[in-house]
Amino acid sequence: MNILLQLFGLFLKVNLLSTSGMASVGLLHQEAVGLFVTESQFVQAVAFASVLPGSDALQLAMFIGYNAAGMPGALAALAGSILPPTLLMLGVAALLHRLRREAWVRSFVQGLTPAVAVLMVFVAWKLVRKTELNWQVLSLGAASLIAFLLEAPPPLVLLAAGLAGVFLLR
Amino acid sequence: MNKSKLYTWFKLFWMFLKINLLTSSGPASVGLLYKESVGKIMTESQFVEAVGFSNVMPGSEALKVAMFVGYAAGGLAGALTALLGSALPPTVSMLIVTLAIKHFQDEPWMDGFIGGMLPAVAVLIAVVALKLFRSEKNASKRSLLIAAASLAALAMGAPAPLVLVGAGLVGIGLFR
Repeated sequence: MNILLQLFGLFLKVNLLSTSGMASVGLLHQEAVGLFVTESQFVQAVAFASVLPGSDALQLAMFIGYNAAGMPGALAALAGSILPPTLLMLGVAALLHRLRREAWVRSFVQGLTPAVAVLMVFVAWKLVRKTELNWQVLSLGAASLIAFLLEAPPPLVLLAAGLAGVFLLR
Repeated sequence: MNKSKLYTWFKLFWMFLKINLLTSSGPASVGLLYKESVGKIMTESQFVEAVGFSNVMPGSEALKVAMFVGYAAGGLAGALTALLGSALPPTVSMLIVTLAIKHFQDEPWMDGFIGGMLPAVAVLIAVVALKLFRSEKNASKRSLLIAAASLAALAMGAPAPLVLVGAGLVGIGLFR
């Protein structure tokens, strides 16, 4: 029971402090790796959330919740992720025009964004730091960077990197 | 409960099921949603408001836009229908992948596959971070200040949620 509450609380927090699924991976890494999932499971979660269609936030919740505590864990994590936007929506149905003029909500998110970006770079660095940086890993990283800069669709890039890994990393 | 309401709900459910099956969240889904909803369900200015609102409020972007559009079309029930349609494809597909990974995790090629995706995932996270940072308009100096302060705090081992809440609070003070 306790772990379900923890999962629910974690995803509640993560979804209150980010505006999209990918923006939440920084905080999610800090809070979930080591406690609920391993580093490698976290990489799988982010990779497949990007590859599969639909909301990344829900996919991260589903994957991490399931690996931490099976189906009940997945449901607890999903509930935590869906609640903040839903409650906001319900509140907004009545209060939208007042809320939108409440500058502090906007300012809070504006202040949040640079910190979220820094946290993400921090986590990206942490992910790489723990792997052995041989030429295969470095060239896969360089190739994906070029692909992203050329605006290739992320799902394709990630799948291609995975397939290349099957042959390169043995 | 008359027939036309049921029809609206079904159409909403189907529309969001389709959008969330066809696109990974983000700009692509907003484009598709625009084509499906503007002129049919809501006006262009309502749509712009929905997207703008979703960028500013916390929580999953795709879900907020869905509920906003659903609400415009069919009230509270419309919002919940849109939410259900949006939540089903990502959760079901991810459950299948989660189970598949569990099934294949002892295969040697799985290690290579995940290992190959790791550098790409790290680069993707960094690229998204950069885009996020650049999306901050006309406040670059203050944003840089917050970024530098957060970096310092994180490097000293401050807990991430605290850093984020702190940055948000500083934002309330700085961005007026």
